[in-house]
Amino acid sequence: MRKPVLQVENLVKRFPIKSGVFRKTVGFVHAVDGISFTLKSGESLGLVGESGCGKSTAVKSLLRLIEPSEGHIFFEGQDVTHVESSQLRRLRQDLQIVFQDPYSSLDPRFTVGQSIAEPLEIFKTCASRGEREERIAQLLHMVGLYPEFAKRYPHEFSGGQRQRICIARALAMNPKVIIGDELVSALDVSIKAQVINLMEAIQAELGLSYLIISHDLAVVEHMCDRICVMYLGRFVEVAGDRELIRNPLHPYTQALLSAVFEPDPASKQMRTVLEGDVPSPINPPSGCHFHTRCPIAEQICRQQSPALLEVGPEHLVACHKVAES
Amino acid sequence: MTGLTMETILQVKNLSVIFNTFEGKILALDRVGFDLFAGETLGIVGESGCGKSVTALSILRLIASPPGEVTSGQIIYAGKDLMTLSPSAMRDIRGEKISMIFQEPATSLSPVFTVGEQIAEVFRQHLGLKRREALEQSVEMLKKVNIPEPQMACRCYPYEMSGGMRQRVMIAMALACNPKVLLADEPTTALDVTIQAQVIDLIKQLQQDMGMSVIYITHDLGVVAHISMRVIVMYVGRIVEEAPVMDLLMSPMHPYTQGLIDSIPKLGEKIRGKKAPLKEIKGMVPSLLNLPPGCKFSERCRHVMDLCRQREPELMQIAPGRLCRCWLHHSKGENST
Repeated sequence: MRKPVLQVENLVKRFPIKSGVFRKTVGFVHAVDGISFTLKSGESLGLVGESGCGKSTAVKSLLRLIEPSEGHIFFEGQDVTHVESSQLRRLRQDLQIVFQDPYSSLDPRFTVGQSIAEPLEIFKTCASRGEREERIAQLLHMVGLYPEFAKRYPHEFSGGQRQRICIARALAMNPKVIIGDELVSALDVSIKAQVINLMEAIQAELGLSYLIISHDLAVVEHMCDRICVMYLGRFVEVAGDRELIRNPLHPYTQALLSAVFEPDPASKQMRTVLEGDVPSPINPPSGCHFHTRCPIAEQICRQQSPALLEVGPEHLVACHKVAES
Repeated sequence: MTGLTMETILQVKNLSVIFNTFEGKILALDRVGFDLFAGETLGIVGESGCGKSVTALSILRLIASPPGEVTSGQIIYAGKDLMTLSPSAMRDIRGEKISMIFQEPATSLSPVFTVGEQIAEVFRQHLGLKRREALEQSVEMLKKVNIPEPQMACRCYPYEMSGGMRQRVMIAMALACNPKVLLADEPTTALDVTIQAQVIDLIKQLQQDMGMSVIYITHDLGVVAHISMRVIVMYVGRIVEEAPVMDLLMSPMHPYTQGLIDSIPKLGEKIRGKKAPLKEIKGMVPSLLNLPPGCKFSERCRHVMDLCRQREPELMQIAPGRLCRCWLHHSKGENST
């Protein structure tokens, strides 16, 4: 049994909407609406959902980049939901994040070496300058770049190389968990595969845990051991990678899977195309959030929100209709 | 679906485009040529910088000059070469005979006019309709692209709509005059997966209803597999392969096409027991300022030979409807141009 590294219990994040001269709070955006999950050591957990479903907000609250409204976050058994200053800094050493856009997440006026050195300097992990340079060279080598690149600036690199630099920077602190927020979405097809392979090789070497966020089911299935499907701030289905693809139970997961266009002419399967748009998280629909687009919704779905229930081994679904049968 | 018996509606011949930049001249398109048949969907795939958008823009003569410059080539539509038309004649073509939808619907719509007014502009410009008639027609168009409550939507500003809705408005605008050719430049890349599926189905259905030809530009081979009949693969401004979609996916000829197909993670691979690292293409796309001599893919190619580094292969016809630019297949082919 693998040890849990990160545990999240009933995480909620609401953003107030302010209006008028006195900036009175007139409503809330319910970005994350009570999610719970556990990330075990050495595991890759995927978070899938469409834009606005709250996946980025969820991971930013984990890192305390934004403060969660409710709920608890445990890191290696310790409650870190409200820890301050020095403890928070230690937490952030162990939890690193790589963002989607490698163009905006590197400072254009820092050389690559300076960008990677920054965390090393802040946490004073290297005794001397020589040692620091050695560490930078080692990190660059680890992500498949040349040590000479440390003296160059980000604009000299392509998107894929920049993403490698971001990964090197995230690895600098020897983290236990790396969060990849749409890590490969901005990259070209041939480069995407390189970065995915690199991430998997690093994980095999260092035994890290990954939390991979993406809207691309194929990428998440390739990289992850378990997948959580998110819709409008809530988990609708959580299952192992193979189980989720083979036996999707929630109608949203089914629609998401059938919306994937596969580069395989033999797979012209019947697609269930969802009607309409994702509702606004300011006034989420009553009951089950998905009922406005669900092909099998009934009266109960409009009134009660379904609980996330275990329907099979390690397979959780939040759906009244599935719970019935 | 044999292309040979079909009527050619648009012909691109020998099109070359350069851009003058501070660092030097960039050859963005190098002698690109293809035919578009009536009623078909032609997919153009490639990575960023391969010239797929430049191709579409130069068909409508929308390349800003300077810095861009079309150095050679003809675009034949209805017996006329679009490259030689006057600006006013070209305006009559754009939007009426050939129209285009872009990737980012948020930036292609004007934020200060209502959606209805923007669609009505097309009718007023091309068909000379009066304001009220044009607005009525706009409502009809919005109905056609499955926008709920088109009357209401007509009075909305773009910021009041979601990305999927805005892209539908763009499609309504592009199709307002029943164009013969639609150029779709990554129309679903900025959209969510479930919305992407809706929009692609819509384009497919409208194409059948209106009988137009579509050039569908994308980086996503999965989308191409579902929407197009023939596919052109581009790499650094050159066509490297052209084939019917089935043939391209089942038996790609060019090593770049093979690499692209292999490098995509496919759903359900683990179920079929094939959990392995993805087959990646080594290296990266070369800069257009500093292209290798010989075959432009030679530096990344698995099958590279000495000849590839010295001379660039021509685009050759290997079999009917199948073109490939590679020395591996060169002996089997005949020159296509």
